[in-house]
Amino acid sequence: MMQADSFLLISAYLGAALSTGLASISAGIGEGYAAGEASKALAKQPKSGDSLLRTMLISQAVTETGAIFGLVISLLLIFGGAGHITGSWFKVGALFAAGIAMGLGSIGPGFGAGYTGGQACSVISRLPKESNMVTTNMLIGQALAQTDAIFALVVALLLLYSVPNPTAATTLGQFVVKISGFLGASLAIGLGTLGPGMGIGFATGRASNMLGRFPHQRGAVSRTMFLGAAVSESTAIYALVIAFLLIFFS
Amino acid sequence: MEIIGPAIVKAAALLGAGIAMGIGALGPGLGEGFTAGKACEGIARSPENAGLITRTMLIGQAVSESTGIYSLVVALLLIFTA
Repeated sequence: MMQADSFLLISAYLGAALSTGLASISAGIGEGYAAGEASKALAKQPKSGDSLLRTMLISQAVTETGAIFGLVISLLLIFGGAGHITGSWFKVGALFAAGIAMGLGSIGPGFGAGYTGGQACSVISRLPKESNMVTTNMLIGQALAQTDAIFALVVALLLLYSVPNPTAATTLGQFVVKISGFLGASLAIGLGTLGPGMGIGFATGRASNMLGRFPHQRGAVSRTMFLGAAVSESTAIYALVIAFLLIFFS
Repeated sequence: MEIIGPAIVKAAALLGAGIAMGIGALGPGLGEGFTAGKACEGIARSPENAGLITRTMLIGQAVSESTGIYSLVVALLLIFTA
């Protein structure tokens, strides 16, 4: 029979791999979309090269956030998580679940933020003098989309650091229930942020695009963007609530 | 091993709650975001209809949200009654 420590290391390393691996998928695709739109815009409007480059770089930096969260959780799992914990069987499930939560949770926001960045770049070529306003709106929109990645980060950190140690009398049955609860929490927040992240990104991307074309409608368009994004966010909040319940009351 | 039977049922219910809420949030999130994006487009193009467009957007999103709420209810039932 292997000791809990060996399983802890296995679980932490698998979680670390999935965390960065899954989180990088959408960051790469999203940033590539932004770069593609910026290149297309540059061909149409070579004179606005500077502002296009600036907006593209800013949007890519924000899109990268989700992947950086994934990297942080991976590093914590490799260097900070497993080494300091001994003999806790609950942690075996929790460390793996933390990696899954962060990895899956970054996918939606990455797509959403990348789409918003691409739409902003593409509209700057049409009306270069509104580039500052479009970039500001793009940043707000990307921040809204990245909220979902932050939800996933919160759940992953809770799974890493707030899992109680089992008492000596913990049975195999209680262990199975607890670990399923952790995995369920990671799937709830990981998959639950996919839709809202992409949806908010679509809403804010279209809003940035329209602001660049119709700059005088700034108030009405941003108001609708905030309202729509808030409603779209609600399902991610349900997922967060379910994840908390599964972590603390399972 | 008689303790394992109910424990596995409970474990499956918790895992199921997570999957229900996770996958159930996919559709509403995407759909509501799409609605909001199209509403922004509509308001930018015809700002005089802003009130009508916002109202329609909210009603559409509320209908789209209903499946998300079903998932929430099913997840809560799985956590607390199974």
